[in-house]
Amino acid sequence: MPQLELLQGTLDMLILKAVSLGPLHGYGVLLRIQQISQERLKIEQGSLYPALYRLEAQGWIASEWGESENKRKAKFYRLTAAGKRRLEAETVKWNEMAGVIAAILETARGEV
Amino acid sequence: MTWSSRIQAFFRGVFRREKFEQDMQAEQRFHIESYAEDLVRQGVSREQALRRARVEFGAVEAQKEDCRASLGLRLWDELRADVRYALRVMRKSPGFTTVAVLTLALGIGTSTTVFSWIDGVLLNPLGGVSRPQELVTFETVTPNGQFTPTSYPDYRDYRDYLHLNLAMSRPTSFSIGEQEHAERVWGELVSGNFFDVLGVAPSVGRVFVPEEFGDKPNGFPIAVISDRYWRAHFHSDPSIIGKTIVVNRQPITVVGVASPGFHGSMAGLAFDVWIPYMMQPALQGVNEWMLRDRKTRNLLGILRLPRDVTREQLQSRISVFAGMMSKANPYEDGGMSAAILPSWKSHFGTQGLLLAPFQLLMAVCCVVLLIVCANVGNLLLARFAARDREFGMRLTLGASHARIARQALTEGVVMATVATLLGIGMALLLGGSLPRLLPARDVPLTVDVSLNSSILWFSIVVCAATAILSGVPSMFQAFHVNLNDAIKESGRGSASGTRARRVRGALVISEVALALLTLIGAGLFVRSFRRATQIDPGFSTDHVVLAQFALTSSGYSLPERKEFSRRLRQQLEADPGVVAVSYSDGAPLGVEPSWWEDLKIRGYEPAPGENMKIYRNVVAPGYFDVLHIPLVEGRDFTEHDSDEKDSAPVMIVSQSFVKRFFGDGAALGRQVYGWGKWFTVVGVVKDAKYNNLAESAIPYFYVPFRQVYRADMNLSFYVKTKAADPGDGIALVRREVRAIDPSIAVINVLPLGEYIGASLYPQRLAAMLLSVLGGLALMLAAVGLYSVIAYSVMQRTREIGIRMALGAQVGDILRLIVRNGMALTGAGVGCGIAAALLVAPKLTSISVAGSAMGGSGTLLRNSAVDPVIYAGAAIFLTLIAALATFVPARRATKVDPVVTLRYE
Repeated sequence: MPQLELLQGTLDMLILKAVSLGPLHGYGVLLRIQQISQERLKIEQGSLYPALYRLEAQGWIASEWGESENKRKAKFYRLTAAGKRRLEAETVKWNEMAGVIAAILETARGEV
Repeated sequence: MTWSSRIQAFFRGVFRREKFEQDMQAEQRFHIESYAEDLVRQGVSREQALRRARVEFGAVEAQKEDCRASLGLRLWDELRADVRYALRVMRKSPGFTTVAVLTLALGIGTSTTVFSWIDGVLLNPLGGVSRPQELVTFETVTPNGQFTPTSYPDYRDYRDYLHLNLAMSRPTSFSIGEQEHAERVWGELVSGNFFDVLGVAPSVGRVFVPEEFGDKPNGFPIAVISDRYWRAHFHSDPSIIGKTIVVNRQPITVVGVASPGFHGSMAGLAFDVWIPYMMQPALQGVNEWMLRDRKTRNLLGILRLPRDVTREQLQSRISVFAGMMSKANPYEDGGMSAAILPSWKSHFGTQGLLLAPFQLLMAVCCVVLLIVCANVGNLLLARFAARDREFGMRLTLGASHARIARQALTEGVVMATVATLLGIGMALLLGGSLPRLLPARDVPLTVDVSLNSSILWFSIVVCAATAILSGVPSMFQAFHVNLNDAIKESGRGSASGTRARRVRGALVISEVALALLTLIGAGLFVRSFRRATQIDPGFSTDHVVLAQFALTSSGYSLPERKEFSRRLRQQLEADPGVVAVSYSDGAPLGVEPSWWEDLKIRGYEPAPGENMKIYRNVVAPGYFDVLHIPLVEGRDFTEHDSDEKDSAPVMIVSQSFVKRFFGDGAALGRQVYGWGKWFTVVGVVKDAKYNNLAESAIPYFYVPFRQVYRADMNLSFYVKTKAADPGDGIALVRREVRAIDPSIAVINVLPLGEYIGASLYPQRLAAMLLSVLGGLALMLAAVGLYSVIAYSVMQRTREIGIRMALGAQVGDILRLIVRNGMALTGAGVGCGIAAALLVAPKLTSISVAGSAMGGSGTLLRNSAVDPVIYAGAAIFLTLIAALATFVPARRATKVDPVVTLRYE
C-alpha cells in the first residue's frame, strides 16, 4: 500500500496519541506512529522535534531525561493530564470533521 | 493553562540557554544514532547507515532554529542581536551618538523635570497623609462667584450638620524661643481634627486626640512639630515629647513629631509646627469674639471625601446647606455658598500661581521634545539610508521588511532608553530647583523630588514615544528599500532617492515650524511681561523702603502694637536721611491681596446678588504722601482721627469707589457702614493698582490705623529716604526696630519697587522659561537644518564637481545650496506662522491666579496675534537658518572637481 502524506496540522494529534500509549523518546514516537499506521504514514523527520518542543511548551506533554533500551541517555516524553484532555477533544473534533466532509463528498447530483 | 506553561518554557529557554542547547544537541544525536543502529541491524554498513540517517533527518541547524522558534526564543535572539548591533554602531560613531543621545536627554530631561514639578505641586502635593486622592479643598464662595477662605463658626456648622470629615488650617508665622533668641518659624493654626482628617501618623509621641478637637478658646496649649524641625532644633531627641517651648511668649507643650514626609496642608510649602486654632487669642493677641465671628474668614479647608457619596451629591448637599445658613445668618452669610474642589484647583497656595505656567511649560517641553525627535530621526534616517546595499542583500537572502524595520526601531529604542536614564537623572537634580525660581516668600518652599511611580510611568511613556518618533522615519525607509537599486554594483543606493530626501525635508520643515512657534510664544510672553512691568501702579516706589513685621507673633496686645508703631515712626522720622514715614496693614501688590470688608452705603441700594465686599487698607496718616498717591478731594487722615471717644470714624475712598457708588454726586460727607460703625467720607484719592498690576480699576477705600486696626492684621512700614540707595534705609529700619524691641520678628525689609515686582511672578516665570526653551528650540532646529544640508551636499559632491568642471563659479554653487536650504526654511516658517495663528486663541485664554489668596488675570496681556513679534521671530529664525545653510554651502565650494570626477 502506498504511503500517504500527513495532512496539515495532524502531526500534533498523532504525537499525543503515540505518547498516550506510554512514555517515548523522539525516535520512539516516530517509530510508534509508523508502526500504528502500519507503515502507511510518512512522517517528515524535520518537523518532528519542532512539534515535540511546541507541544511541550504548550503543556500537553512533559519531558524527562531517562535511559533508553540500550542504556543510553535519552529524553522521554509523556502525556500530561491536560494533554490527555486535549487529545480527547481533538479526536472528537476530527471525527466530526471527517463525518461532515464525508457527507458533503457523498452528495449526489440533485440532492442539493 | 497553556499560557503559563508557554511563559515558563520561554523563561527556561532564556535563563538556562546553555543546557537547552546541549539537550537539543544530545537529543538530535541520539535520534540519528538510533536510526543508524536500526539501519545497521537491517544490514547496512555502519558508515552508510550514519550517512543515511543524517540525510533523512534533514537540516540540523534549521530544525534547531524551528525548535527555538517554537519556544519564542527566536524573537529573543533577534532582539538581543539588534541591541548588540545598535550598541556597536553607536560606539563606532561616538560623536554622532553623543550628540543624538544628549539632545534626546535634554528633551526628555526637561519634560521629566517639569512633570516632576507638576507632580510635586499639583498631582501629589501632600506628603505623609493617607489616601491623598480622597482629600479635596473646601472653599467659601461669594455671591458673585469669588472664592474665599472660611470662618470658624461656618466651618463648625458644615462639619457638624453635614457630618463632614472637614479640617481647617491657617498658615501663620510664630516666634519660637526666649526673647532675644526667638526665631521665626512658619506653621499652621489648625482645627483639632486636622491630623485625624489628613490621616497623618506621628513618628514620635502623638497627634491631637479627640478630646482636643473642642472649641474652648486657649484650651489646648499643645503643638506637633515637623520632622525637619525636630531634627534641626532638637537633634532628634525623643525626650522633647512633653517638654514646653515658648511660642509667641506663651508656653506650649510639644506632644508629638509628625512623620517625616509631612510638611503641612498646602502644596509646595513646608511648615514646621501645628497648633490648635483655638490658641489664636493667646498666641496672637486676637480677641476671643473673632473666633466666633462668622465674617472673619481666614481658614483654608481640607475635606476627606466620604466613601458612600459621589462628589456631585456631596456638593449639592453642601450647596443646599449653604442656602440654609444664608437664611439663618443673612448679615454674615447672606448669599454665600461653599464649594469642594480638587486640590490642584485650589485658589489658595502655590497651585493657583503655578497651574497656568506649568501648563504652558509642559506644552513647550512637548514641542521641544518633538523637535528633538525630528532631529534624531533625521540623523538616524541618514545613517540608515546609507546601508541600503546591505539591506538589499539581506532581503534577497530571505529577511522580511519587518525584520529590517525592527532593527531600525531598536536603534531608536536603545538611544531613547539611555537618554531617558540621563533625563531622569537630570530631573532628580533639577527638580528641587523649582523653589529657587519662585518669588522669595518667607514660607520655606519645598518640592518633593523623589522617584515615585507617576514620574516613572511618565518617563516610560516619554521614552517609548521618543523611540517610536525617532525610529519612524528609518522604519518607513526600511519598507521602501528598492531591491534593484540596492544590489547594483555602482548604484548609490536609495540614500539619495527622492523618497528619503522628501522625508528628511519634511522633518526639517516641521522642526523649523515648531522652533518658530516656540520663538513666537517666547516673544509674546517676554513682551507681555515687559509691558506689565511698565504699568503705572498709581503710586511711586522711588526711594521707598518697605518693612514688614509679624506683630501677631510678638505677644503684644493691641494697644501695645499701636504704641510700637507710633514709637517706630517717631524714631524713623527723627533720622536726617528720612523724608517721610507711614505705615499700614498690608502692602499693595504683594503676593497676598489686601483684605476686604462688607460695606453698606447710605443712599446706595445694592442690586440683588451684588458683591458689596470692597478691598481696603488700614493706613496711618501720611500714607498717601509717602507713596505719592494724589489726593483729589478732601483731606488725609490726621492724628485726630483716633480711637478716642470723641473721634468720629472717617474713611478715604478711591475715584472708582466714587464712580460706582456715588455716581457723579458729591463724595465728601457720605456715610458708609462697616465693622459695625458708620464712617464719614473725608477724602478722595486717585485710583491705583492694589492686588495685581494687570487688574482693571476697582473700588477701594482706606480707614485710619488707629480706628480700625485689629490684632489679626499685619504691619507694613514705608520709609522714604533722601538717598536713592536703599541700603541705608534698610539698615536704619533694622537698627531702630532692634533698639525698641529686639524680639520683634522682621519679615522683610526691601525696596518697595522690588516688593511689587514679585506680583508679576507668573508672567516673569513664563517669560523666562519660554525664552530659555525658545533658544533651545531654535538651536536644535538650526542643527537639524545644518545636518540635512550638509548631508545633501555630501551626496551631491559628484554633481557639484561636474558643475564646476563645466564652468560654474563659486557663487553659483553657493546659490544652489543656499536656495535649497532657504526653500526648506521658508516652508517651515510658513507652517510655523500658520500653527501660531491656530494656537493663538488658546494662549490668550490661559488665566493665572494673580496671587496666592485668590483673584486672577490672564497670563498674556495682549493679543496673541502681533505682527511685530511674528515678523521678528521669523526674521531671526531665517537669519540663523541662513547661517546654518551657509556653512556647508561654503564647504561645497571647496570641492575639487578633479578629485570628485575621478571617484566612481
